Amino acid sequence: MTVTAPVDPLASPDLGRPGPAPIRLIRSEFLKLRTTNGWWLFLLGALLMLVLAILFNWLQADFAFSEGIPQDIPEDDADTFEASRSPIFQAANLYTSGQFFGLMFVMLVGIVIVTSEFQHQTATTTFLTTPHRTAVILAKLCVAALFGATLWLVSLAINVPATIGILSIYDQSSLLGEWPAQRAILLNLLAYALWGVLGVGLGVLIRSQIAATVTATVLYLIGTTAVTILVTLLQDWLGWEWIDEVQYAVPSVASTLMVSGTSLPGQPPYWVGAVILVGWAVVTGTIGTMITRRRDVS
Amino acid sequence: MSDGEIVVSHLAKQYRAVRAVDDLSFAVEPGRVTGFLGPNGAGKTTTLRMLLNLVTPSAGTATIGGQRYADLTDPLRRVGAVLEASSAHRARTGRNHLRAIGAAAGFPARRADQVLELVGLTPAARRKFKGYSMGMRQRLGIAAAMLGDPGVLILDEPANGLDPEGIRWMRDLLKRLADEGRTVLVSSHLLSEMQLLADDVLIIAKGKLVTHGSVSDVVDGRAHAGPVRVRTPQAEQLTAALGSAATVTTGEDGALLVSGVDAPAVGAAALRAGVELHELVAEKPDLERVFLDLTAGKADIR
Repeated sequence: MTVTAPVDPLASPDLGRPGPAPIRLIRSEFLKLRTTNGWWLFLLGALLMLVLAILFNWLQADFAFSEGIPQDIPEDDADTFEASRSPIFQAANLYTSGQFFGLMFVMLVGIVIVTSEFQHQTATTTFLTTPHRTAVILAKLCVAALFGATLWLVSLAINVPATIGILSIYDQSSLLGEWPAQRAILLNLLAYALWGVLGVGLGVLIRSQIAATVTATVLYLIGTTAVTILVTLLQDWLGWEWIDEVQYAVPSVASTLMVSGTSLPGQPPYWVGAVILVGWAVVTGTIGTMITRRRDVS
Repeated sequence: MSDGEIVVSHLAKQYRAVRAVDDLSFAVEPGRVTGFLGPNGAGKTTTLRMLLNLVTPSAGTATIGGQRYADLTDPLRRVGAVLEASSAHRARTGRNHLRAIGAAAGFPARRADQVLELVGLTPAARRKFKGYSMGMRQRLGIAAAMLGDPGVLILDEPANGLDPEGIRWMRDLLKRLADEGRTVLVSSHLLSEMQLLADDVLIIAKGKLVTHGSVSDVVDGRAHAGPVRVRTPQAEQLTAALGSAATVTTGEDGALLVSGVDAPAVGAAALRAGVELHELVAEKPDLERVFLDLTAGKADIR
């Protein structure tokens, strides 16, 4: 039997050489996210909604690819319907299935990454470890965006085989070689990443975890529909065509627009959606960082 | 200037109508445990938070080793702080809490296990924080502060929630850290504990400095104020023997409290008058009495 001498824990420890600060911070934030159970609940929720979304989009595709246009619809709607019948439109729609709820869950993770620091009073320790608060927020933005990218990758891994399968039922090729489909998939990645940024920004603005998640979810789910309905009503009453464009300023509507395979009549081009969403992310990210820099932590 | 010296200079913090800290200046030396005392609302926590760049001062500066906290390159290797007992995610294990901090500071993962060993939390390392007792939470806070083996330790009410054994453990640890030449600044309400632990005391009230010095200086500086307690069956004879220099009052428990003369004079007078004494004690003021004297009337809610 060997007896080891008791190690004095205070005897100057070997702390190693610190790596580059950004890498350290991102690792730390990633570890924080990974060591709580919030993230897999969100992932599970997103996957469940993804399956439902694929089924819903399949129904849409089935309707679009079935023979003939219904006779009793107005000419404007007939144009839209005709455009939505293009295989590339349906392919892009299917390849980006689950975006609506996926983006919401990414936003919620972004919110939780920030608000849990205040909820559990760990902000003090975080800012003691890294007094440069901008760097902390940037690391949180990165981790939220990375979570978004991961969710995008997971949904892509399910969407690709599902879409190829569904398209083949209607004797359509996968269309994966077509640029509009590739573009939709890639811009979808951008959307997933940017919604993480939006979530972090929101979390800084509303520090209470409950208030932030509830507000964001309600705004996302009801706000999106409410704006669409409001725009349609206003357009009908006032007859202003331009008012239709207003709804694309809403981040969730802009996200749908940027992953469309072909433009429907009366719809702005896809890149307008991308520009609007980047704008929102930059604004919320910047405001969030500036507030965090100034605010007292107590 | 020493590497671990804390210098606070004309520090002030204004919160709307309240001046929480008001033109506060002091210096805390390495190698000693300094107790930071004051009534509730005196500005202790605000001062510590300004020192650590968590709260922006309205005026003045606070430096550690000549640098503002925000300007330290590797803050955790210089300064360890324990500010809130409950500062960890409820669902995270103690070990993961320390690893997340260590990762941001660039320490190896094994360092988390070392500090857990140091504070005696190794058996609870993989338990979630919500299952920790108050004393375990304090120990985890100290473990976090020790991650970077810092030369300066700043602790806000670290003894809260510790049992007597835990308090003793903390006292021994902090004394040992100070003996190694580190700066130890501890705020506390437990005055009797401070008298055992601290080398120096720093007392503030209403955001202003009241006194600062070694415990013995601060306490002895007011020793003359202490009365002499005498117990005798012949109270009247003794009072007469003491003469007009002494003021004698009768305490609640029947003992006489003599002020104006010291204990040897009381003993001599008793001997001359043939008065029988059962007890003769010079009541030395303790830190608690000095503290209450110094901060009398300043502990109001602001």
